[in-house]
Amino acid sequence: MDDRDLVGRARRGDPEAFTQLMMQYQVPLYNMALRMVGRPDDAADIAQEAFTRAWVKIRTLRDAPFKSWLFQIAANLCYDHFRRGRRYGEMPDEDTNKVVGLGILTPDPQERAEASERNRLVRESIEALDHDMRLAIILRDVNGMAYDEIAGVLGVPLGTVKSRIARARAQVQEHLQRYPDFFPSTREDAHAE
Amino acid sequence: MPSEPRVPTEPTLDELSAYLDHELDADAKARVAEHVAGCADCQARLDGLRQTAYAIRALPMETPPRTFTIPAKRRESSSWVPVAGWIGGVAAAMLIIVVGVTHLPFHSASTTSSYSPISGGLAQGAAPAARPAAPLGQSGAGTQMYDSQAATKAALSNAATVSDPRNPSRMLTVSTDAASYSPTGTMNVELRLLGLPQGRTALVSLLLERNGFAVLLPTGSGPLDASGYRGNYQLANLALPNPVAGSYTLIAVEWLPDGNAELIARLPITIQG
Repeated sequence: MDDRDLVGRARRGDPEAFTQLMMQYQVPLYNMALRMVGRPDDAADIAQEAFTRAWVKIRTLRDAPFKSWLFQIAANLCYDHFRRGRRYGEMPDEDTNKVVGLGILTPDPQERAEASERNRLVRESIEALDHDMRLAIILRDVNGMAYDEIAGVLGVPLGTVKSRIARARAQVQEHLQRYPDFFPSTREDAHAE
Repeated sequence: MPSEPRVPTEPTLDELSAYLDHELDADAKARVAEHVAGCADCQARLDGLRQTAYAIRALPMETPPRTFTIPAKRRESSSWVPVAGWIGGVAAAMLIIVVGVTHLPFHSASTTSSYSPISGGLAQGAAPAARPAAPLGQSGAGTQMYDSQAATKAALSNAATVSDPRNPSRMLTVSTDAASYSPTGTMNVELRLLGLPQGRTALVSLLLERNGFAVLLPTGSGPLDASGYRGNYQLANLALPNPVAGSYTLIAVEWLPDGNAELIARLPITIQG
């Protein structure tokens, strides 16, 4: 069953349909919020509130895609989070014993430690972006959205999406280049030799 | 006078980035491709952007630290909700049901053992992109059999096993110590995953479902031994709907890395009045 059918049922007050939508989007929505605000508890609060608001307001959803609409609600909550003066929360270091990377085990402790450090540096580089660029690149590279979907979430033209993603990538790249031991291939001159 | 060979304009940063994402129209895409093919500097810029995008995409997808719900109070007080639109009293009671997914990572540790204890105890695995296991109540992949056949592989008496039709040696078994419980009883659950290739990991969710709604069975407290996962659940402590009595299904879902359900084992459970 696709989103449109589930949304139609949810608009008529069917909680089961909305529950299926929640199950479908809870992980990507939570991860978007997590990469935006940094702290797992804050991200979970944002995802929870986004689902609650979406449920309450779903009768106002007309032709817009549910996914873009839901992420737009969560994005606005992220901006509210920052407007309230909440800072980017430092995520606890991932315990790589507890993170099973989608079917691939990295049994070597050194490899796991390096992967953990790489991830920490990437998170740090995302944190350094301004909120608009951060959101654009998260929606693209964390959530895998197409540009037109992102434009729907952000409410901006496609050209703006393109520009924000490009500038965000350039800034992240610049940040990661400071750590050539971990990111040798992000150096432009590494390929120009 | 012969015209000079056309040199495609050097692409902008925006164009290179969008080129990576296949978000340029055909003309722009061809122009960027032509230029990059003959320009080492732009090739290097493009590769740098590509590796940067890969680094971000390599961040693990995290499992939410808690389940998400729709608060019953807010729903009931929502002015727009037509009372007649609810599915009667049962649906109203279902408002309190919690929906969530927890993943039990399994991994095979040897060529002979089909599964092994989770190192470090019951870990929260990185979640695949979340999708419902399947619309709850529908059949998932595999062929399910009950009781007698499953009991050969399960230590507990009430069991259901689902096997992978493409590889019958791969089986997911969920079993309980009884088929029927009192609302204040304790349900002992065991999960077994057989036939995982060496080095392969699997993420398994465990839910108790009724009428399309599922309650998460927390997995952080049960002991884990070499034969799989076992957990004890006091039914009175689960967020079950009122009235609690009824027919439930205990669902074990093995997830693929892409978020699709691979094997779904369903075991009928009755909670008596």
